[in-house]
Amino acid sequence: MSHQAIIADDIVLKIEELSIAFGGLKAVDNLSFQIREKEVFGLIGPNGAGKTTAFNCITQFYKPNHGKIYFRDKNNNVTNLIDHPVHEVIKLGLVRTFQNVELIRELSILDNVLIGAHIDFKSSLFSQALKLPKAVKEEKDLRDEAIEVLRFLGIENRKDLPAGGQPYGILKKVELARTLMCRPKLIILDEPAAGLNDVETVQLAQTIRTIRDRYNCSILLVEHDMRLVMDVCDQICAISFGKFLAVGTPKEIRKNKDVQTAYLGTEDDET
Amino acid sequence: MNKKLLKNPYIQFVLFGVVLSLLPLLVLFGILPSSYITLIGGVIIYSISALGLNLLLGYSGLISLGTAGFMGTAAYISAYFTVNLHMPFEIALLAGLIVPLIIGVLVGLVSLRIEGLYLAIATLCVSEILRKTFEELSFLTNGFSGKTASYPKLLGFINLTRDTSYVLLVVFLVLVMILIYNLVNGQLGRALNAMRGSEAAAQAMGVFLLKYRLIAFALATGLASLSGVLYVHFIRFTYPTTWTMGMSLNILAAIIIGGVRNIYGTILGCFIVFAVPDLFLKQIPYFGTMNGFAYIFNGVLIILVIMFYPHGLIYIGNDIKRLFNKKKGKV
Repeated sequence: MSHQAIIADDIVLKIEELSIAFGGLKAVDNLSFQIREKEVFGLIGPNGAGKTTAFNCITQFYKPNHGKIYFRDKNNNVTNLIDHPVHEVIKLGLVRTFQNVELIRELSILDNVLIGAHIDFKSSLFSQALKLPKAVKEEKDLRDEAIEVLRFLGIENRKDLPAGGQPYGILKKVELARTLMCRPKLIILDEPAAGLNDVETVQLAQTIRTIRDRYNCSILLVEHDMRLVMDVCDQICAISFGKFLAVGTPKEIRKNKDVQTAYLGTEDDET
Repeated sequence: MNKKLLKNPYIQFVLFGVVLSLLPLLVLFGILPSSYITLIGGVIIYSISALGLNLLLGYSGLISLGTAGFMGTAAYISAYFTVNLHMPFEIALLAGLIVPLIIGVLVGLVSLRIEGLYLAIATLCVSEILRKTFEELSFLTNGFSGKTASYPKLLGFINLTRDTSYVLLVVFLVLVMILIYNLVNGQLGRALNAMRGSEAAAQAMGVFLLKYRLIAFALATGLASLSGVLYVHFIRFTYPTTWTMGMSLNILAAIIIGGVRNIYGTILGCFIVFAVPDLFLKQIPYFGTMNGFAYIFNGVLIILVIMFYPHGLIYIGNDIKRLFNKKKGKV
């Protein structure tokens, strides 16, 4: 609440001078950017640029050495995410996927999605153990909601199959479904198109837009597939070696000299 | 309709209990020797403990070697309450649950920040400390000579015999099975599974690791304590030498052999580890009477099970069914 004035009304996430170092390596160095409500925001950069590290700092898997991460939560309060432990971040309405899909192989797809609703279960352990009516109703309601989300993503028919052994494209969708269970304000996608074929990537772009419109949330994504990034993002931030390069619309980024240099190298590099 | 009813897991648990409690009748009619009641009663007691450990080992992926220590603590406390303090069985049961639970939670708070083998070593140390306490604290435990207790007296006036105590064990087992089934198929089970599958994903979904580890540890300790209380009132004596690492390892072996994350598998495992040596192995000439033959048997069995049934021997049923269907198909 004390941070209310710091970020403008339409900003959902604002990163200020974020830095983290591992030993002598500055993985993220003085990075700042901000994301508006209902915006699809891309974070790009060559391999090792520190994109995933930046993600991990935002979601509190790493505690940054320096900087502020302001987030406007579900109740429209602004907090500094650094003050929250990693498992509380989702309660504020910030949820993420992982670069290498992190699902539980032994559980059914539906149960995997229900893990995303972990924080929505209010009934006590006692009432769960005895299956008191309240716990049963809660489980049923959330189960219905999970089926609804799976239907939205077009994989409802697979809900009872175990996650292990499903094709990669399906697993990516399950992970996406899991993030939607908490009715997020901001979804962070770590390389959503990695391992997908061309058709699936085109579908993904459509899915990302539909999610934004239907769930009224912002999306931050790290991606190597430039076609997807240029196609789906409203704003893009480019970084290289942990440092900020440029921010702008896809068109602006494509034309930016620094970005071109970072990706393709300068002529000096070749000699 | 009937088939649907039989498929209901709760009905299955109750039926399982009913079948188990028929054992004293079989003994009464002289079909089975009466020593079987003690033997199967023991299996039930260890099963309750193993079901708790399965929650910890199978679902959250944490290894504890402290089971025996907590079982022993509960057994001694319950014996002390009923024999020395002349308290009713119900109060002794409650005390036998609460005291080890408090110790368990304290130990958990300190040790659950570490994982894998380190946690195993930490819990093993606690267990050994507890066992040493049983030996030394002789005003409470009678030291090496062991402590005796009697069959439970329910509500202060129902004196149970060996056979009715056995039925009480079955009742407790069925209750524990239902409890575990409800817990692992709900939010708790999913959270524990998520923790085992991917700690990162679990945390990102809002699972507070320490809290859920502590819950799993407390549940395992609680069930170990329950089985300890039942042990002392069924076997009717307890020695410090009962509660060794060997016991903890046997319970662990039962879970691995029978089936991790499987209620019936765990019970099957306990039957194999705790009853098969007495029932069958002792009949084998020469080898059967060899000291420690049961350990060799368990060791070989673990290797075989991990090679052919990595998820537990309970899945042998599926294979047998398939074999049957194949044969039917041919005919």
